[in-house]
Amino acid sequence: MDVYVMGVSIHPAADVIGDTRLEEMAYRTARAALDDAGIERAQIDHVTLAASDEIDARGISSMLLAAPSGAYLKDEMRVTDSGLTGLHLGAMRVASGHLQIGLVVSWNQSSVGPLEDIGRMRAEPFFLRPVGLNFAIADGLFASAMAERHGTTDRAVAERVRLRLAAAAKNPRAVRRAVPELDAIAGSPLVAHPLRSAHRAPVTDGAVAMVLASGDWVRAHPQSRPLARIAGAEWAVDRYQLDGDRLAGLDVFRATLAGVLARAGLTGVDALDVVELEAQSGWADIALVDALQAGSRVAVNPSGGAWAQNPYFCTGLVHAAEAVLQVAGRAGGHQVAGARRALAHGTSGFAQQTHGFVVMEGIEA
Amino acid sequence: MNAHNVAVIGVGQTAFRSRSDDKTYPELAQEAVVLALADSKLEPEQIDAVVYSMAPTTFMGVADADKWAVDYTWARGKPFMRVHTGGATGGSALQAAHAHVASGQYGTVLVVGADRITETPDAQFVLNLIWDPFYEQDFALNTVTMTAVATQRYMHKYGTTEEQYANVVVRARRNALNNPSAHLKGAIDIAAVMASPRISWPYKLFDICPRSAGAAAVVVSNETLARERCTRPAFITGTAGVSNTVFMGDRMGPYADTDFADYAELKQAARECYRQAGITDPMRQIQTVEIYDPFSSFQFPQLESLGFCASGSAQRLSDEGAFDMDGELAVNPSGGTLCTNPIGVTGLVRAAEAARQVMGRAGAMQVPNVRNALATAIGGSTQFFTVTMLSDEPRRAAA
Repeated sequence: MDVYVMGVSIHPAADVIGDTRLEEMAYRTARAALDDAGIERAQIDHVTLAASDEIDARGISSMLLAAPSGAYLKDEMRVTDSGLTGLHLGAMRVASGHLQIGLVVSWNQSSVGPLEDIGRMRAEPFFLRPVGLNFAIADGLFASAMAERHGTTDRAVAERVRLRLAAAAKNPRAVRRAVPELDAIAGSPLVAHPLRSAHRAPVTDGAVAMVLASGDWVRAHPQSRPLARIAGAEWAVDRYQLDGDRLAGLDVFRATLAGVLARAGLTGVDALDVVELEAQSGWADIALVDALQAGSRVAVNPSGGAWAQNPYFCTGLVHAAEAVLQVAGRAGGHQVAGARRALAHGTSGFAQQTHGFVVMEGIEA
Repeated sequence: MNAHNVAVIGVGQTAFRSRSDDKTYPELAQEAVVLALADSKLEPEQIDAVVYSMAPTTFMGVADADKWAVDYTWARGKPFMRVHTGGATGGSALQAAHAHVASGQYGTVLVVGADRITETPDAQFVLNLIWDPFYEQDFALNTVTMTAVATQRYMHKYGTTEEQYANVVVRARRNALNNPSAHLKGAIDIAAVMASPRISWPYKLFDICPRSAGAAAVVVSNETLARERCTRPAFITGTAGVSNTVFMGDRMGPYADTDFADYAELKQAARECYRQAGITDPMRQIQTVEIYDPFSSFQFPQLESLGFCASGSAQRLSDEGAFDMDGELAVNPSGGTLCTNPIGVTGLVRAAEAARQVMGRAGAMQVPNVRNALATAIGGSTQFFTVTMLSDEPRRAAA
């Protein structure tokens, strides 16, 4: 795509951001992204928001959040799937010809809302809601399918959780956490068999924003240097049903991955330097990494993934921001040397019903 | 940047009524998709991506209604996203689909949505929850009282009478007689509107839209595919939106950028839409409009901000018949939102009806010789606006 990332901002993450209103989080993050790009709000011509009414506990979340996100008297639009979906729409808006530069803003303050109750209200009312389906049970069904079909073990999951937490320790934007012993993970309470509480990435509060510009705008403003080019974007949704084939097959993940690589003009995963996958549990992490089939030269989740920070609704967009920082050489302690192309992944819905990808490509000096 | 031209090639709407208890929510959405695919002469596998149009899910109480509908709308394995900008959702969803195609990312995109407002016993209680939980929810704010306040301000500025608003209702119900999908329709007179129960001054019951259940779908393609598949596509030649502050108090007074009585922010969106579509004289170049009017007072400020007439003059032109089917500008030949309001898809219905006018497929609602038809949508605290132009030919060279 002829679309560029001019600036990024990731709100300092915490398990609970209790001293800040959502509007302030959105404002600070959008403002910081504009500052990172070195442009004023007056220069942007549109804003794309990504937020969930249910998580925000608002009837129409963007009513109060649009203006602090920079959208006052701007052409604004909102998606509700995930933060990464906001990036997908934002990139297409910029590529559509009449919009030149804009913000993508997403947030999550689920510390003030019961996420599992929200999950239950997402379920259809005839079959799934009466059995109490929520995110934990959906993830438990996924874990069960992985154990059944692929022989994934409790120990392998525990080792994966430790690996991610150890990586997150090098990430300056990660929430600081100790790396537990294997026995502590294996002994943590069962949430939905075989999923244990320590298998899950802790949910945090957070927000993230990006400034996107068209190639025309970039060429007309040579003093503004892009951080990355969006080389490709692709996303897709899977069936709503949670049967074994849907859960363990990961067909949509594989097809969408192939699609984004093709759009980016890449011959395979090994043409990437970095991959940031969104996995909400160690079970999902193992499944997605296996499906990725990346060689050893590709750094997978150097940020620690969702174990670094996990603002549930916008974790995928955080990963996209991490991908930008990697190809711009600004990732920090977990910088992958010479990273040129980075793939970011995000997911949403029960047990990864959707998968989205974006390939960020570095800009030659 | 070389953007692709985009056109509507097919639309589908279910009948709209208070309840649709014979179908589940996703089955309702599916019905509209079937109709839109048939209208487009396409099979489901020819759809590259899906945009789902759904506003607050609280009315029906299923927060993942769109994901529930994935299998029913043949979206599995395809790019899929839900757009939600309150009452403006349908307008935004169509513009999002336009971006899918104009960017070159996809060739053919389905926009679909469904809503069933009467699943909740009191929609206005639910709509109270859209306001700030700390400062505003404790007031009796809902969409009726909120817009009644703006209407009072407009009446104060321009001397509009309740009878002039009642005339808008009479015209809408009369137009809806030609619309087989409309929820409310009929030959009524001004006296009947004036005699309907008082709700919130100046609104009487007939000044207010119904709560509708139903679904709508629209198929858009790039220019090459549209010309292959459709003898007279409706090209999307202008797309614009504008978002204002939620606070109505910040939209009045000497220091305000816009006045909430006039929908002045709509001028900004219209200016951009007209720039793209090459419109310099709206009243002469645009033959019909489908504007978002859940209340009888929504037409005058929109028509003025869209440049069809001067501020404060729409009420007189309305009285004179300028906005009748045989008037200077046919306003809402379908009966508009006053007659049908499934909130999550209402903006999409407006665009679908405008497209049908351009395509010559509006049946008894058809306005002769439509070259340009305009659709609007409005959401939030009348703070989100979209303006979309549908035209008989693209207004820029193909990419």
